[in-house]
Amino acid sequence: MLVLRQLTKAYQTRAGQVKALDDVSLEIDKGEFVVVCGPSGSGKTTLLMTIAAMLRPTRGVVRFDETDVYAMTVRERARFRAENVGFVFQMFHLVPYLSVLDNVLLARGAAGRNGRRDRALELLEQLGLKLRVAHKPAELSAGERQRAAIARAMLNRPKLILADEPTGNLDPDNAQSVLKYLQAFQRDGGTVVAATHGPAARQFASRTVYLRDGALDETNGPA
Amino acid sequence: MTMIKMIVKELWHRKVNFLLAILAVMTAVTFFVAFSTAARGSERETARLMLSMGYNLHIVAKEADVGTFLMTGIADQTMPQAHLDTLASQREISYNHLLATLERKIEWRGMEVLLTGLAPEVCPPGSKKPAMVVEIEPGTAYLGHHIASVLDIHKGDTIVVSGKELKVERCLQEAGGLEDVRLQCCLSDAQAILDLPGQISEIQAVDCLCYLEGGDPVEILRRQIGAFLPETQVVQVKAIASARAKQRQMIRKIFRVMLPFVVIACGVWIGVLAITNVRDRQQEIGLLRALGYGSGSIILLFVGKALLVGLSGAIAGFFLGTLLGLEFGPDIFKITAQTVLRPERSLLVYACVLAPLFAMVASFIPTMIGAAYDPATTLREE
Repeated sequence: MLVLRQLTKAYQTRAGQVKALDDVSLEIDKGEFVVVCGPSGSGKTTLLMTIAAMLRPTRGVVRFDETDVYAMTVRERARFRAENVGFVFQMFHLVPYLSVLDNVLLARGAAGRNGRRDRALELLEQLGLKLRVAHKPAELSAGERQRAAIARAMLNRPKLILADEPTGNLDPDNAQSVLKYLQAFQRDGGTVVAATHGPAARQFASRTVYLRDGALDETNGPA
Repeated sequence: MTMIKMIVKELWHRKVNFLLAILAVMTAVTFFVAFSTAARGSERETARLMLSMGYNLHIVAKEADVGTFLMTGIADQTMPQAHLDTLASQREISYNHLLATLERKIEWRGMEVLLTGLAPEVCPPGSKKPAMVVEIEPGTAYLGHHIASVLDIHKGDTIVVSGKELKVERCLQEAGGLEDVRLQCCLSDAQAILDLPGQISEIQAVDCLCYLEGGDPVEILRRQIGAFLPETQVVQVKAIASARAKQRQMIRKIFRVMLPFVVIACGVWIGVLAITNVRDRQQEIGLLRALGYGSGSIILLFVGKALLVGLSGAIAGFFLGTLLGLEFGPDIFKITAQTVLRPERSLLVYACVLAPLFAMVASFIPTMIGAAYDPATTLREE
């Protein structure tokens, strides 16, 4: 489903060129829960952004269902994201002035799909937020915010959820809860790629890959 | 979740930013409306005063003695009647009423009378202003009170002046001045009586102004009129007319100097607020881009906000500006008749069209910055 070939992302800095990704090749099948592990600055977020068609690699190819995502126009890539990819971020990125329900429904507008209110409410109920639909993000706990973000990510029934440190700001119980929801999505046939520098996610992963200095660590284990 | 709903919710969430932006638009609109309201009132006041005090500008032949003219009100030299058409056709000169006359003292039936021939009054094309002087039909005459009473002439009588028969259309009421010894007829009859065909002694004008320049209005008019009527000279009889004309120039100066300053200051103010707003919403923009919203949607978010800010500021500014214009206008422009000051509804339309445009232009650069944010960068800034 997802094929990354020789992905390299280099940034030019005053100190010289920095490679955030260095010749990364990876294949992820539909229904996998892949955890990308690595220390801070190892290139995990860059990898997710590149997969999400938001960050063009300096070199290499990203294929999603046989389609080269960077061969698409900007508009096509936006459409691709809206229809196929859900995002979960460490900082939740909920819009502060919208209610939980409106935050979830935000994903609907981009995909041009109407009539998703029932699904949003159903998702929020499944994620234990039934009584929080009218609340603003500031009125929620960290765990509730991340669950609201997961509901938003799932609204359009994406094929892929990209989670960037989804448990980074959560206590262990909430972290377990969030990972369970992501696992449930995977068991329903979805694909999850989660970047994390902690060990908690590995027990939910069908596969774990390691990144070090932007390159896949072939030793396949933490340093 | 529609964009409009998002805009409204964001406005409500960031009330202070919204209110400050409205305040900026409101300041510009208030200034514009207050001065326009007072200025329009001042224009009406000027017109009212001009009409009540008669013609304010006199154009006489270059050879005419101004001293005699000022003492007697009669120019001692004549000039071609065609000068009236030349003056009326000048685009650089604004006027409301032009009147050509031919005046001479004559001996008639043993008494000295002032023969005045009046041409039909000339108004600008399309002007709906009523004529200041009644048009006298050829072959008729209006007699001053003193002439009519001394010579025992009545309405309907026929009189003969230098061989010209005239039917008395009206005997005027006593005025206590030069009007009482005036015999008025149409210009062509006066030219025939005086044997001065195609000649006039003066052109009188009301609200005669130069469109193009600042400075002393009479001097400008003298220069302008001198350019196309070199055989004439301009006499401004009433000082108040000059003061009023200067006042108009002051209004123009205020608009030319102050308005751009206020507009630029308020524009910068709105721009700074918009930049702050865009910076505050970097991650929101990044999120929307990540969710698949295009740059058009991001632009719509900010342009829509600017539109609402502009519209709210326009309405609030119109009412505040009108209030200030009505309250302080009379002091600024020395308007004495309260009736000439009134709310100018057309300004509301202007404000509601221009203020949102103004707010959108002021927010343009921040909006473009927002639309250009790289989501990959903003979403990484934890």
